[in-house]
Amino acid sequence: MPHKKTHKSIKDLQRRIAVYEDEAAYKELFFLLFQSLTHFAEGILQSKENAEEIVSDVFISIWNDRAKLNQIDDLKLYIFVAVKNNAVRKARQLNKDATISLDSINVEVDSLYQSPEERMLSTETVTKIETAINNLPNKARLILKLAKEDRMKYKDIASLLNISVKTVDNQLAIALKKLATAISEPLRKKK
Amino acid sequence: MSKEKVWHLYSRKLTGEASQDELMELQLYIEDHPSLQYEMEALEQVWMQNNQPDKEYLEATYLLHIEKMKKLGVEPKHLDDMVESEELLQLSFFKRNKRKVFAAVMVAVIVTAAIIPLVNRKNAATGSANTETAKAEPKVVVMPNGKNTSFKLPDGSTVWLNAGSKLDYSKINDAGNREVHLTGEAFFDVVKNPARPFIIHTSTIDVKVLGTKFNVKAYPEDKTVETSLVQGSVEVFVKNRPGEKYLLKPNQKLVLLNEEQTVAKSSLAANKKDINLPIIAITHLTYPKNDTLAVETSWIRNKLAFEDESFAEIAKKMERWYDVKIIFKNQELEMEELRGDFSKETLQQALDALRFASNFRYKIEGKTVIIY
Repeated sequence: MPHKKTHKSIKDLQRRIAVYEDEAAYKELFFLLFQSLTHFAEGILQSKENAEEIVSDVFISIWNDRAKLNQIDDLKLYIFVAVKNNAVRKARQLNKDATISLDSINVEVDSLYQSPEERMLSTETVTKIETAINNLPNKARLILKLAKEDRMKYKDIASLLNISVKTVDNQLAIALKKLATAISEPLRKKK
Repeated sequence: MSKEKVWHLYSRKLTGEASQDELMELQLYIEDHPSLQYEMEALEQVWMQNNQPDKEYLEATYLLHIEKMKKLGVEPKHLDDMVESEELLQLSFFKRNKRKVFAAVMVAVIVTAAIIPLVNRKNAATGSANTETAKAEPKVVVMPNGKNTSFKLPDGSTVWLNAGSKLDYSKINDAGNREVHLTGEAFFDVVKNPARPFIIHTSTIDVKVLGTKFNVKAYPEDKTVETSLVQGSVEVFVKNRPGEKYLLKPNQKLVLLNEEQTVAKSSLAANKKDINLPIIAITHLTYPKNDTLAVETSWIRNKLAFEDESFAEIAKKMERWYDVKIIFKNQELEMEELRGDFSKETLQQALDALRFASNFRYKIEGKTVIIY
């Protein structure tokens, strides 16, 4: 699975930013993570503008602290955690009564993409999977997004969301079982 | 295997978390339950697809992001533009000052020739590209404190070796090997040979070059190991960071914290937060006002120069330069940052000059200087 490649290239970008103050590397890192992070923050804040603002601020602090960047073990996880903390703080600021729990983080998962050359699944199957993803509980959908779209390891998801690796393992198994079941069932709306 | 466990194994497979045994177990189960096959293959298709980034959206957003940074005054500078203009300046300097540099070298050779018999006087004095080698001669040059020298290597490259340094070039041979071992500080003017890279080994870094002018400072007792590039390009490999390679451009300097000097501090702290200095940094060479020769390389012109360095670091340079031992009785003085530029000054004159800038007194007892 393609985890390793992304991981390695982030390490490389991190080094180029820290050592060479390389703007091209900074831009590449921004391009690589900005959308993922904004979707994640939007799940917490329920506002795209606020989410973009938070992520942009985190990227500014990454540049400002570039000299120390090499000391960070896992930059991607570090940025996700920073975005989470800032988004939760912002959400509390905007709505004093807001309780931010794992179950209240409502992320949207990108519509499924099939490259034209590799189109193996019927539109109907894709629609079934997408519908099933949208019907997942918030927590399961969030974990699915982090594992699938952001290619995060179990232990990183666990540490980002303050849950156990076992919970990640269970939630993902339940989610995938639901998606598989949806594929063999007729579409719900047709029932 | 329970029906639930299949989905655990399948999730782990998709996310790359499954062990070999788990993959095998899953495979066997699916073979026994072909009805699962279609669903799992379909999901795998979906899982493997990477979402296409929205390039236009990202370009626009990045532009806004940089605008925001500009308002805060923290936007990234274009390093390349900066380097280019400095490179031109540097090149013209080298043309203008060639004669001066060689004049200085001649003096150095005359002073040290008696001690180092293998210095090729004719080469250094004329500056010609004489590649004649003296095979029978020893191939290790040791410079005691208080002296420096320059000489040609068998491949035609020129080396300036600073005080308290050692260069072993016994590996350079007619077969084309160009590897040397350095302890201390040396300036290299390497003859171009794209087919045969020139490699300098030190205890912490390896520097690989094709043809270029640069300085390597790797004294075991110093806080940092530095590679300063004047012209051309070099690659620096850091020994305890395998797989990492740093490419320097002209006028850049790679500074590596010397682990032998900092290991006491860092081993205490598994939490790395306490270390403020980056372990590796690339900075620019320092040029004093009204001078076109960088501080980092001024020693080859028989100058002892430093620009805003701590007195402790300066003392190490002076120890090597004047062949003395310097002891601080007042630790606050060690932190003071000073600048200076000495060539013909005696130790006493140099210390007196530094006293203009800093409030200290000194006592010279034979080969020992006490600062208080």
